[in-house]
Amino acid sequence: MTGVRPLPALGVGSVIVMLAALPVAGLPAFYESFLYLMFYWIALATSWAILSGFAGYFSFGHAAFFGAGMYATAHLTVKMEVPFLAALPVAAGVAALLAAGIGAVVFRLRRLRGELFALLTLAVTFIVATIILNTPIDGGAGVLTSSVPLPRVISSSPSGTLYLLGLIVCVGSLAIAWWVSRSRLGMGLFAIHDDEDVAEVKGVPTFTYKLLAFTLSGAIAGVVGGVHATYVGFLTVSETFGITVPLYVVLMSVLGGARHWAGPAVGAVLIAASLYTFTSGDQATIGRGIVALVLIVAILLLPEGIVPTVLKQLRRRPVTRATPPDAPIATQAAPKRSDAPVLVVQDVRKSFGGVHALRGVSLEVRQGEILGLVGPNGSGKTTLINMITGHFPLDGGSIRIDGQEIGHQPAHAIAQRGIARTYQIPRPFAGLTVLDNVRLAAMFGGTGLSGAALDAEAHHWLAFTDLAGKAASLPAELNLHERKFLELARALVTRPRLLLLDEVLSGLNPAEIDSAIALIRAIRDQGASIVFVEHLMRAVVQLSDRVVVMNEGATLASGNPREVMRDPRVVAVYLGKAHVA
Amino acid sequence: MRTKSSRRFVLGGLAGVTSLALSGVGRAAPSGTPVRVGSTLSLTGPLGQTALVHKIAGEIAVEMINKRNGFLGRPVEWVLLDDQSKPEVTRSLYENLITVDKVDLIQGPYATAPILAGMGVAQRYQKVYIQSSMGIPKNLTYDMAFPATPFGPEPNKSYPKVLLDAMASTKTPPKSISVLTSKFPSAQFMAEGTRDEAKARGLNVALYLEYEFGTRDFGAIAARVKDANADMLWLGALGLDSNLLLEALRKLDYVPKRHFHLYPAPGPLAVSPDGDLALSSTFLEPAPPFTDRKDVPELAATYKERATKANVPYTDLDAQGAGMYTQWQILEQAVNGAKSLDDKVLAAWLKKNGADTIYGKIDFNGPNNHGPAAQMVKQVQNKKWVVVWPANFAPPGVKLIAP
Repeated sequence: MTGVRPLPALGVGSVIVMLAALPVAGLPAFYESFLYLMFYWIALATSWAILSGFAGYFSFGHAAFFGAGMYATAHLTVKMEVPFLAALPVAAGVAALLAAGIGAVVFRLRRLRGELFALLTLAVTFIVATIILNTPIDGGAGVLTSSVPLPRVISSSPSGTLYLLGLIVCVGSLAIAWWVSRSRLGMGLFAIHDDEDVAEVKGVPTFTYKLLAFTLSGAIAGVVGGVHATYVGFLTVSETFGITVPLYVVLMSVLGGARHWAGPAVGAVLIAASLYTFTSGDQATIGRGIVALVLIVAILLLPEGIVPTVLKQLRRRPVTRATPPDAPIATQAAPKRSDAPVLVVQDVRKSFGGVHALRGVSLEVRQGEILGLVGPNGSGKTTLINMITGHFPLDGGSIRIDGQEIGHQPAHAIAQRGIARTYQIPRPFAGLTVLDNVRLAAMFGGTGLSGAALDAEAHHWLAFTDLAGKAASLPAELNLHERKFLELARALVTRPRLLLLDEVLSGLNPAEIDSAIALIRAIRDQGASIVFVEHLMRAVVQLSDRVVVMNEGATLASGNPREVMRDPRVVAVYLGKAHVA
Repeated sequence: MRTKSSRRFVLGGLAGVTSLALSGVGRAAPSGTPVRVGSTLSLTGPLGQTALVHKIAGEIAVEMINKRNGFLGRPVEWVLLDDQSKPEVTRSLYENLITVDKVDLIQGPYATAPILAGMGVAQRYQKVYIQSSMGIPKNLTYDMAFPATPFGPEPNKSYPKVLLDAMASTKTPPKSISVLTSKFPSAQFMAEGTRDEAKARGLNVALYLEYEFGTRDFGAIAARVKDANADMLWLGALGLDSNLLLEALRKLDYVPKRHFHLYPAPGPLAVSPDGDLALSSTFLEPAPPFTDRKDVPELAATYKERATKANVPYTDLDAQGAGMYTQWQILEQAVNGAKSLDDKVLAAWLKKNGADTIYGKIDFNGPNNHGPAAQMVKQVQNKKWVVVWPANFAPPGVKLIAP
């Protein structure tokens, strides 16, 4: 995400080297053991957050991947005598395959979000546990791993080897989380977290990204489990697949801030350290109660987690605002207006249960024109936009852009073909800054831009929509007018072939409407074809080259705006028929 | 003469003082730097309730040792940490005890997984490791690890043997048996042994069923037990499994003819109406002839008092508490017998001499330092657990009731 400074590589490298040198420093082995448990929890919590924190898919099934890794390692090393280090990649692979298999099924189903996903992952844990319990993998007898020979790495002691493996896995997990959070994948996951449907429409391949994140998360948990299998020395199904792992990783991530790559690590360190705060036999129960109370208070006071809260506080301090990059804006020659159709909608039908929302709608949008799409509430205008952008699958008919059928393509693929839209009620990604909202749209919307050119493009469209001063703000800090313009900036930054504006003027005052109309004209002048859904007839008539009127899911009339608006059928739809007593 | 008699007087006086001093050695309060013995118990987490029993018994043991002469005349200090029922925490806390706290000696924790987690640490630092609740002796592979409970090296064979011997001694020995067990390593291990021993004796194993650890709804399992209608039910139960299964059977209007429970919650099963005549295993109960053994009356009385104060559900000394006390007895005898705190010396002494405990003489001369098995069978009679087999360990007037 923008706003996060690059990691101070030298400092981080020094800390890693110092930690790696600990086994030869002659400290008591307890410190290796204590730090190993820190690494263990950091890696587990961080791996959980790659899907659940970044994309908001809360999983209670992390024990399934962790346990799969544990038992894969135990089975290979104890029963098949595979060397320990050779077993670890297999542990990661088994857990990754399990995650990918689950994800490939559940991520296809839109209804399996939120608590249903959490429950489903919990159920998967029980299923995996039952399989392991009832097969020779465990069979109920447990697996003794304490005698698995460990390679001697630097240190001559097994605890030193486990410490170093823990350190490697921990640093690797953090590096992966850091990389993901700053990558295209991470940007997509954050967008999924905030509004998955919008993310898809903005071009994020949500299914693929969730699957990647889940697989990555599972693989890391698997390798953590593989190392831990030898640390505990004896595996039982009840302890491996119990509620401890999912409960702790959720708690740690929520405490530290699940959405930030470093948040789960901070939470893990605090909670793992607290486990050792009250270990004396005389104060065990009271101590645990105090730790629980402190955690509850911390989570209540810092609902976003420690790291995001601290970063927010730091951002409030006066800082020199980063100047927009000075990269040249890719210019696009405005195509001339012509009668060549950009979009052709033919006989499109859509029903929701018994309600026929679209009853065979046909229309076309020509190169460089503004097509006004009007009609009373419930006439099917927004449904049609949702169909064109792939939000809903077609029941019948076809939609073609530049002659290519897009009616059955996923929304992100349609977005990448140059179709952008705005929402009647703005739906910005709430956790991303205004600039990141626009960058994301540019990143996924088919411009093919990256790096400085991407940033320059985003800043250009923020300036175009008069939002340059709000680049670092969160959408919640914008007023309605600004949020509507943010919607426009997100659409324009993709340099769309076709722009679908859904009641972009609603809720604006007259001055704001005038500036919006000027803006839409400027957009058309840049070469985009526009479908302009609006109730405000003054604007429709001023802006539209042609108008299509919809009523009850069908096209009622089309043509020159002024002529269509005088059509008695259209007047009747808007004003009602005169009845003679 | 005068000199001679004076010298004699002085020598006599010195001898008297010395003998008085010597006679008081056993009762003198220990002094000097404490001998610190470290261990963990699962004081919080799912094992907490049973670990509390260990804590009470361990504290009594340390007090009684210090009332005697401590270790080598020095007081004993128990450094007890809470492993939170987590094997990984157990491991790191033992490393803390040994490498940071630098305790002189260690004791084992409670329950199989923490015991195995701590055993690896003990092995690395070559510490004597005594434990009392490790259900699978074959996993106790460290040569300086010692069992404080006489499970024997193969309890999966010795447990069923004692039980089936007891059953065979009744007027109507069972001809069929249903074996049910929780899929918990130490219970499942015993269930398989019972099934095999029953088959070897010609009993019909009418039902062998494993259920998942943590099962709470026993309705379907009870139906299968009723259908099997064996002469005896053997249940590899953990905690309240026994009560829940018997309750589910009662709802089906079925009372098992004879029923054995491996690791039940002793109090709830004894007082339950369903628990009448339930059978289980034991090594000691706070009743004759065990109360004739040294330490048992004081231990049993003190334990009852403290367990009551701590709201422990079952306040009689049971196998958990007795096992913990035995751990300390073994360590005490090793230290004072070998006159050393050196772990290797202590281990050698124990292997050579064994230990006299409230369980009787325990030897460590078998596989994985396990000596002969000494299981007995106990039964709920008048809402109390009493030893019923072997008959010579039953209290006066008590005998096995086998309907």
